Amino acid sequence: MEAILDKKNLNDWIAALDGWDAYAPALEDGVWSYRPASANAALAHPNTVQPPKGFAFPQREIFFRFEQIKGEAPRLTPVQPEPGRRVVFGVRPCDGRAVPRMDRVFADHVDDGYYRARRKDLAYVGLACHKPQSRHCFCKSVGGSPVSTEGLDVLLTDLGERYFALAVTDVGKALMQAGGALFAKAGASERKAVEQAHAAAVAQPQRGVADAAAAPAALKAGFDSPLWEELAQGCIGCGICTFLCPTCHCFDINDEVTGAAPLKGQRVRTWDTCQFPDFTMHSSGHNPRDTLGSRLRQRVSHKFRYFHENFGMLQCTGCGRCVSQCPVGIDIVQVVNRVAGSI
Amino acid sequence: MIDLGALHTQVRDILETGEVRAVVGWRRGSRGMLAEPVTIATPEEAETLVWDPTCFHNLSLTLVEERKKPSWRPGKPIAVVAKGCDARSLTVLMQENCFRRDEVYVIGVSCAGSGVLDERKLAQRLPGVEPDSAAFDGDAFVCATAGGEDRIPARELMADRCLECRDAHPKLNNVVFGEAQPRAFDPPFAALARFEQEQVGVAERWQFWQRQFERCIRCFACRSVCPMCYCEECVVDSINMAVGADTTAAEKANRIRWIERSASRADNIGYHMTRALHLAGRCIDCAECERVCPVNIPLRLLNNKLEREARVAFGYEPGASIDLPALVASFRDDDPNHFIR
Amino acid sequence: MSAQTPYEPKIVAFLCKWCSSAGSDLAGVSRIQYPANATPITVACSGGVSPQFVLSAFHKGADGVLVSGCHIGDCHYMEGNFHARRKLYLVKELLEFTGVEPDRFRMSWVSAAEGAKFAQVVRDFVEDLRPLGPQDKLKAERP
Repeated sequence: MEAILDKKNLNDWIAALDGWDAYAPALEDGVWSYRPASANAALAHPNTVQPPKGFAFPQREIFFRFEQIKGEAPRLTPVQPEPGRRVVFGVRPCDGRAVPRMDRVFADHVDDGYYRARRKDLAYVGLACHKPQSRHCFCKSVGGSPVSTEGLDVLLTDLGERYFALAVTDVGKALMQAGGALFAKAGASERKAVEQAHAAAVAQPQRGVADAAAAPAALKAGFDSPLWEELAQGCIGCGICTFLCPTCHCFDINDEVTGAAPLKGQRVRTWDTCQFPDFTMHSSGHNPRDTLGSRLRQRVSHKFRYFHENFGMLQCTGCGRCVSQCPVGIDIVQVVNRVAGSI
Repeated sequence: MIDLGALHTQVRDILETGEVRAVVGWRRGSRGMLAEPVTIATPEEAETLVWDPTCFHNLSLTLVEERKKPSWRPGKPIAVVAKGCDARSLTVLMQENCFRRDEVYVIGVSCAGSGVLDERKLAQRLPGVEPDSAAFDGDAFVCATAGGEDRIPARELMADRCLECRDAHPKLNNVVFGEAQPRAFDPPFAALARFEQEQVGVAERWQFWQRQFERCIRCFACRSVCPMCYCEECVVDSINMAVGADTTAAEKANRIRWIERSASRADNIGYHMTRALHLAGRCIDCAECERVCPVNIPLRLLNNKLEREARVAFGYEPGASIDLPALVASFRDDDPNHFIR
Repeated sequence: MSAQTPYEPKIVAFLCKWCSSAGSDLAGVSRIQYPANATPITVACSGGVSPQFVLSAFHKGADGVLVSGCHIGDCHYMEGNFHARRKLYLVKELLEFTGVEPDRFRMSWVSAAEGAKFAQVVRDFVEDLRPLGPQDKLKAERP
């Protein structure tokens, strides 16, 4: 399904989405992030600082509450994600491509009910890029495209005063149908315009991973390369690269205790990151990944090798956040290229 | 202006003569204009060192991290290229016995008349432009892109910390480059004063800070980048608890956790307030925490607030001297008492 | 909170063992009436009250935190209360700066002989806290 939406009708469309809570990028305190869509949402954002991954996989999630009265069986009260359908507007294609990757992780050998409960009621309305959002974008070199529809339900393409809307999934189709007369039929001239826009977007120069197809094998061969430590030299060991990554999904589970007599509290899942030293710290005090280089290797190898070994695709979608936000400018593209190039 | 050639010569000399075992400085980075920290050990590498308005990093951090490694051995000093603020942090680290004075060779670079730029200000001034390089030129920053050069008055782009710098000329140094001329930008704590004028009442303050703290994603970049945050274990972690086969569930559950890892508002506040208080009398306003924060939390305000209180109420200035007692390990008979019943 | 139980501020009171804790005992044995809102935690010295204790009390839901020690010059450890005064001044300033009502944190010097003063400190604190209502700014949302 293809249709044309006047930009001035965007908010009417959002309002017409009965039964959906809509979110769109908004600028607050200098930070672009997804917020409940205001009545005058406009999709005029660079990419958001944080990807939309938190909608399906929030940074903090309560599994259940517990209470243990002495001599009694522990009492567990499950906490379920709040029901409700949510639609996220303005998702860039790189972040769209993260969605099926996260889906694979959370439905692989374990079906994560919390993730599934959120994911099944989520829809993503993407926005094609006309030009790279920053100099650090590299989606094309990892198999993506600035106009990719992967993982999205609808893809909007900006045609000046109007959007060309393409329904990618049935959910997307339903979202567009809910807009009713706000959408006009797409004619041949609009089809031509969108084709041209997409071709121009894809033709925009980008930096990139030199040979993504060869990366998994090359990183395997380069596992013991001294380059890892050298490239991690400036690393300060923070979690920016992983917490802002659209596909990083590691987590920790903790019991937050709120009372001792009776013992009670809640079991909570929070994001965790391979970049923190305590991520792999054993209780004996031994840490198998005790250097910055070994932790950089883990992050990069997960994106470009382990994930590929597990699921047959690269995990990195080339959004460039880990590069643009790194306090010392560690560049995953350069890391892959240098290690792979040294083999 | 700093004569980079002279700095290179100095670095080459001290490496050649073996006066130091390594030099920590900045080199051209791979990410756009940004310089990156580097540790060099051979005289040949001296030429790779750079000095420009993107030399943000407080390199005393590299020294602290080096010190923490199991491979650390005492020996010949390590040299560090240090701006005024970085030299102050080295002073605090020596005051706290992290290093002896003779373990560090300080190559001072004076920011009097320069200072580093603020990437956020740059993004506002030149939206969508990501320069390939930035350079000092008199009282301007020159940002170069493929499309040409932009000359922007330094005042407009300079980081607040530099506009308000207390000692642009590194006091602690073995050698120093650049002049000691006075600067005329903002008085200390100018940004803090602006904030206090804008957010007056308790309710307004809370509204502001609530929004900031709710945004925190607990990536701990502020902690990681801070040379003063060198604790082996932080209050937000609990990695030292020994768990054995006979550790009971109750023991695990009841271990002391001041602040949970959860990125919830209350835990975020607990973390940031604890950090601010731990930095009281130690923070020397390199403002790296604020720079690296991916979600723009104005952490410098918290640290500046306590720095100013320490100065006004206790006459204390962090980083002023190695021989200073710690702020919270000292007192004066006439410390404020008015708030006590 | 139900309508039947009016709001009663919860106070966590860190009292030094040598003076203020003894002062509170004196208030008790002297049968001085004062509100029962304060949960006392006896510490060896007010100088040992880490700012972390104060933040933690708020985090766990205290409506107000009181730190009380010996008068200046009377510290059992000579200078502990000087340290407390300096450290906790910073805590007070930081709380205020971030928009926490200044009346939620209080310090007092109460000697072992000042039972009446201790009662008055608590009485005043409770009255100052009452209009502020429950403290939910620093409190963790936990069941």
